[in-house]
Amino acid sequence: MRILTLGIAAFGVLLWLAHGNPSAADGAMFANGLLPPVPVPADNPMDAAKVELGKQLYFDTRLSKDSTTSCATCHSPDHGWADPKPVSEGVGRQKGGRNAPTVLNSAYMPLQFWDGRAATLEEQALGPIQNPVEMAMTMVEALDRIKAIPGYVEAFRRIFGTEPTEEGVAKAIAAFERTVISTDSPYDRYVRGNRSAMSPSAVRGMNLFNGKAHCTPCHSGPNFSDGDFHNLGVGYAAGRYADKGRFDVTKNPADLGKFKTPGLRSIALTAPYLHDGSERTLADVIEFYDRGGNPNPNLDPLMLPLHLTAQEKADLVAFLEALTGEPVKITPPTLPPAAGGK
Amino acid sequence: MRTNAMRSVSRLGLGAAALCVAAALMQPASAVPVFARKYGFNCTMCHSAFPRLNDFGLRYRRNGYRIPGRENLEKLVYETPTPLAMRTSVGYNSETFSNTPETTNVAEFQLNGLDMLSAGLLGRNIGYFMVYTPQIAAGRGVAGQDGALEAANVVLSSPRSTWFYARLGRFEPAYVPFSVKRSLTVASYEIYDFAFPGGPPFADTRTGVEITGWGDPGIRYAAGLIDGSDTNSASDSPADMYLRLEKVIGAGEGQTAGHRIGLTGYRGLARPESGASPRKSFTRVGADASMNVGIWNLGVQYLHGEDNRELWGTAENVKFDGGFAELLCHPRTDLVAFARYDWVDTPSSVRMGVNRWTVGGRYYLEDSVAVHLEYSHRTQSPIQTGLGHATERLFTARVDFAL
Repeated sequence: MRILTLGIAAFGVLLWLAHGNPSAADGAMFANGLLPPVPVPADNPMDAAKVELGKQLYFDTRLSKDSTTSCATCHSPDHGWADPKPVSEGVGRQKGGRNAPTVLNSAYMPLQFWDGRAATLEEQALGPIQNPVEMAMTMVEALDRIKAIPGYVEAFRRIFGTEPTEEGVAKAIAAFERTVISTDSPYDRYVRGNRSAMSPSAVRGMNLFNGKAHCTPCHSGPNFSDGDFHNLGVGYAAGRYADKGRFDVTKNPADLGKFKTPGLRSIALTAPYLHDGSERTLADVIEFYDRGGNPNPNLDPLMLPLHLTAQEKADLVAFLEALTGEPVKITPPTLPPAAGGK
Repeated sequence: MRTNAMRSVSRLGLGAAALCVAAALMQPASAVPVFARKYGFNCTMCHSAFPRLNDFGLRYRRNGYRIPGRENLEKLVYETPTPLAMRTSVGYNSETFSNTPETTNVAEFQLNGLDMLSAGLLGRNIGYFMVYTPQIAAGRGVAGQDGALEAANVVLSSPRSTWFYARLGRFEPAYVPFSVKRSLTVASYEIYDFAFPGGPPFADTRTGVEITGWGDPGIRYAAGLIDGSDTNSASDSPADMYLRLEKVIGAGEGQTAGHRIGLTGYRGLARPESGASPRKSFTRVGADASMNVGIWNLGVQYLHGEDNRELWGTAENVKFDGGFAELLCHPRTDLVAFARYDWVDTPSSVRMGVNRWTVGGRYYLEDSVAVHLEYSHRTQSPIQTGLGHATERLFTARVDFAL
């Protein structure tokens, strides 16, 4: 009788516990899953006209010193809203120090840039315009150029009720970037219940991603990023960091060599990888992780050799490819002509 | 007419068939024991092959049940899904003894105990871990177990340094480098079981306090003060203390990556099982190593002990040596094979010299559901004058699962 009672009690508890895969909705801290609606700040509500203005500004090379470079030059829709070069080239073919991160799903990131120096998309949007090796303008110069284009002046007046301003430029570009969203991937369809949406290899890869390969603690949540900063040892050699990353923002020694965890949605479209573009393919990235990153004094404690088999590596690549969402349908905008029709 | 051998083969075949049917009928289980459910991880995040921890799991446990480097994200037990889990196994067991009085052969399907676990964070820097094993009476089809609060401890972590953690309560002590609670084998580590009459097995969970720490360059330490042998009385002060030092070579913790060497020293006081006399001392000194090359892991343990003669009731102090060498092969996430040789050398007066060979493997239907096959052959010095060597043959085919 005692065993029977125990058995019934245990069975009841087991039923209580066995309620399926843990998910973010269950309170599981690092679960991936479906993307929630795009977060929109209260002071910059979405508006079709604003998004269209932002798209025009995003594609407009006139916002750069020599009118050769726009946001889309380095964050190209044809290349997963990123740059296929390891590091991008700005005006005068000057090279930047880091690989251009994708704009895809940047709206979900709590901080912007690899080192998180911008707190919002609005703040980020003005950065490249003023960066001397990217678009090399001052905001005064950029606004002068915008004000010289009647179509922009009219659009700003209609949308913001003012002449073109720094704040308006930032809000318009950020609003546009909030429409550049990767979703409805095979992974999303699988999570919604279509068990044939991912290949068996991708399903195995998903289990590895969230297990033996130790990806989820950093690539967590629906956007596959914790939004935090980690040191993988990328670029560390001969006792020094080629790029100090987050440290340059915080000046905290604990942040030396740390960079923001990128989201992984549509990652297959955004090669090359890592903050310096040093890994050419997803397979190369997995090799990098398999050996536990590059040893350095500030290496993240979760960077450990993984001993993945060749099949497991292939499965992980298959899973990452299954995160590729439907293409973001963007038709290049018609840019307003400058005064005099130029 | 069927022979005994034929009947044994039939039983084994029946057992194997039943296991296959059970495995086939079993719904794919989610890997949802306590921590996995909290984080949304699969079991293989922390276990190379459940229940054995990998390097990630080892760091997690040592960090007071917090993910290293993610401490600021952790949720308390009150904010997370139900912090309960269980583990049991069911299958066919065959144990055959010879020259061993007061033992009974076993050849039947059995439920093999039940562990109920709870764990989590009580505060930002306060973790806890509990294992309760309910009392289960042995009977036909049931391998009995004693009821016990096997482990119940709190881990206090320093918010500023990895060099100081304090574990209080009843815990698996850090001087045991190869966890018996998370061993892949059913057969026990002989040297960890070895004890004077009434004394606790070396690897048992113990009650007391343990300080641990770790950091670069690959140094780990543990020191503890514990109540010690069950032969001590309640009015005896904590009697046993230990110190362990480890050095990790290469990336990892030596569990699944890199290599690890360790030294352990233990000194204890215990009353002889007969009671009245003052406490007598016993010591253990050990060295161990764990090495990883590709899919292979080799673990080696050596332990030397010296016990006061009164603890054994012998004319001389008892000195003994023992250890094991364990080889694991992990070619796939869902498959692990193991082979181990255990030995204990004792004076002839003690009659407890042991040799044991164990081989087997586990195939994982899911992260937390393993089909386990194991064969172990144990030989012990003659227990009584006139008897031959005592032998035990263990074969088990079981499904081991946690949820």
